[in-house]
Amino acid sequence: MTEVDARSRPRPADGSDPGQAPSKVTIGKALNLGLRAAMERDPKVILMGEDIGRLGGVFRITDGLQKDFGEQRVLDTPLAESGIVGAAIGLAIRGYRPVCEIQFDGFIFPAFDQIVSQLAKLNYRSQGRIRMPVVIRVPFGGGIGAVEHHSESPESYFAHTAGLKVVACSNPVDAYWMIQQAIESDEPVLFFEPKRRYHEKAELDLTATPVPLHSSRVLRRGGTATIACYGPMVKTCLEAAESAAEQEGHDLEVIDLRTLSPLDLEPVHESVRRTGRLVVASEAPGESSIASEIAARVQQECFYSLEAPVVRVTGFDTPYPPSKLEEEYLPDLDRVLHAVEQSLGW
Amino acid sequence: MSIMTYRQALRDTLRTEMRRDPDVLLLGEEIGVFEGSYKITAGLLAEFGEKRVRDTPIAEEGFTGAAIGAAMLGLRPVVEIMTINFSLLALDQIVNHAAKIYGMFGGQARVPLVIRTPGGGGQQLGATHSQNIELYYAFVPGMKVVAPSNPADAKSLLLAAIRDDDPVLFLENLALYNAKGEVPDDDTPGEIGRAAVTRPGRDITVVAYSRMAAVALTVAERMAQTDGIDIEVVDLRSLRPLDRETVVDSVRRTHCAVVLEDDWLTYGIGAEIAATISDGAFDWLDAPVRRVAMAEVPLPYAKTLETAALPSADDVTTAIRQTLASVGRRAGKDIP
Repeated sequence: MTEVDARSRPRPADGSDPGQAPSKVTIGKALNLGLRAAMERDPKVILMGEDIGRLGGVFRITDGLQKDFGEQRVLDTPLAESGIVGAAIGLAIRGYRPVCEIQFDGFIFPAFDQIVSQLAKLNYRSQGRIRMPVVIRVPFGGGIGAVEHHSESPESYFAHTAGLKVVACSNPVDAYWMIQQAIESDEPVLFFEPKRRYHEKAELDLTATPVPLHSSRVLRRGGTATIACYGPMVKTCLEAAESAAEQEGHDLEVIDLRTLSPLDLEPVHESVRRTGRLVVASEAPGESSIASEIAARVQQECFYSLEAPVVRVTGFDTPYPPSKLEEEYLPDLDRVLHAVEQSLGW
Repeated sequence: MSIMTYRQALRDTLRTEMRRDPDVLLLGEEIGVFEGSYKITAGLLAEFGEKRVRDTPIAEEGFTGAAIGAAMLGLRPVVEIMTINFSLLALDQIVNHAAKIYGMFGGQARVPLVIRTPGGGGQQLGATHSQNIELYYAFVPGMKVVAPSNPADAKSLLLAAIRDDDPVLFLENLALYNAKGEVPDDDTPGEIGRAAVTRPGRDITVVAYSRMAAVALTVAERMAQTDGIDIEVVDLRSLRPLDRETVVDSVRRTHCAVVLEDDWLTYGIGAEIAATISDGAFDWLDAPVRRVAMAEVPLPYAKTLETAALPSADDVTTAIRQTLASVGRRAGKDIP
């Protein structure tokens, strides 16, 4: 597993000593700091995307990077996702480590052929001679008052595709370390960023040792039931667990999956063997989704421990609705708690 | 009833529908003069002319987009994408437009579009020409995805797809084109979203679609002889909408299940089926639902490796024996 070398740890953008007391940063800022650190460490790291240079990206994740690293390393591209990913594949063949930003989740579809037919396959087709150290950053999910094409959760497509790695961060600490680990990986990584959580803050300790990229993590211990989630749903599920503890006295275990391909389900299996109950929460439409795979695996691995069917809390099987309806569409605290009740009531 | 190949059933159905409805037209690469890479459209250009059988440039996004526009304005285009692999180039048109237009415009426009395309490996066509990526469409709310496994279903589901007012991905399979079977003479469309119990049985349910549904029947017949097991085969026929009821009903009777697919395992349609069974038949299940699928690699070119990566009849047999062994049942009766 890739780990960031402590010696090459960057100083924060404000120039403060990394050894000082940790300061609070947002997910957006943590990604920015992580990208900066990776670029400082390795001159082969370059960023490409629509409006990421002068503007700093529509979500300002690459803010200030073109100013500091120049137009050769932070490229404003045309509005042509297939071209962005295609060019990144060529650059990777020649030894660069490109990081592409897809402006919104729904815009990734024009790049699909490059991702599935080329990016995912070149390592295999060259019998391992060609490495594909490409990161594709995708702000994903709804909740920002945008419409379809701007609020989607397309992670299942890529998690299903052999030859790709897929991860999703849920908090500033993970965002900071995971983006650097993804860039250091020699394999293509789809990096999903929970866009409605970009402004969530947490303390970022730059001296901490990150956990491996492809590992899930137990965020809250509990014995009543297990909740597995990722990306923007992690905050919702943690809040649901707090509420269940206060209101019902339930003690819920919350696991942030973090890596969707490969999956790291051992912590989930271990947890379900104790609790006997699992709720999987995800924003994407539920049919053939991440939640389906987790349910299928857990019913196979923990068949004799399960006290109830795995309950899935997901978006609905419709195209993403207009923004006035998105509160109804997105799984919220109540729906998560309802699922927990359903499981407990079985 | 007539006996014919899967290929012939598709060709005859396209001809029937084009004669019945002047709004039905075909678009695709080499479908006219060359009569299609797999000869599904043979003879149709001669009968219906260039306006209704259109040879397009090699530009999947372009002709799929054109077909979406034609469908919105009242025609019933049937697009042939030479193999499902090339549909990746049209994915944005299909996922972001065809599937969403009805919802985005509050029902003002419908997209009665059929995309016919074969999937499947086993022909030594290499990693980018041997994929089973129907799931990319089965994920998508707003789409319908059908996957017939025999000539009769090929006919009835193509009739249904062309007459449906929503976009339908019609999945064919290279290995099935020459499969023969009885096909009814009447033109009654099938029901999209309805699975079929293609072989009733008592001991275990095997759920599959497309090529693997044919493999399931072969395995069932063989294991009836070799193992004395009575296997029930459920052919999904439609991946979206899914007929959960038929699957769950079957498992409630047999108490165990194996799910087959030609696609990669992780996040496959088998995951949804296994989750559905676990959900709908939790208290009836005697063993975990096992899945048989393709190795999770881009499909190799070398014949030996390709064969090793694809799910085989032997893999299915093994999974069935393991499942029955884990519930302590064999040969249709409980072991005391």
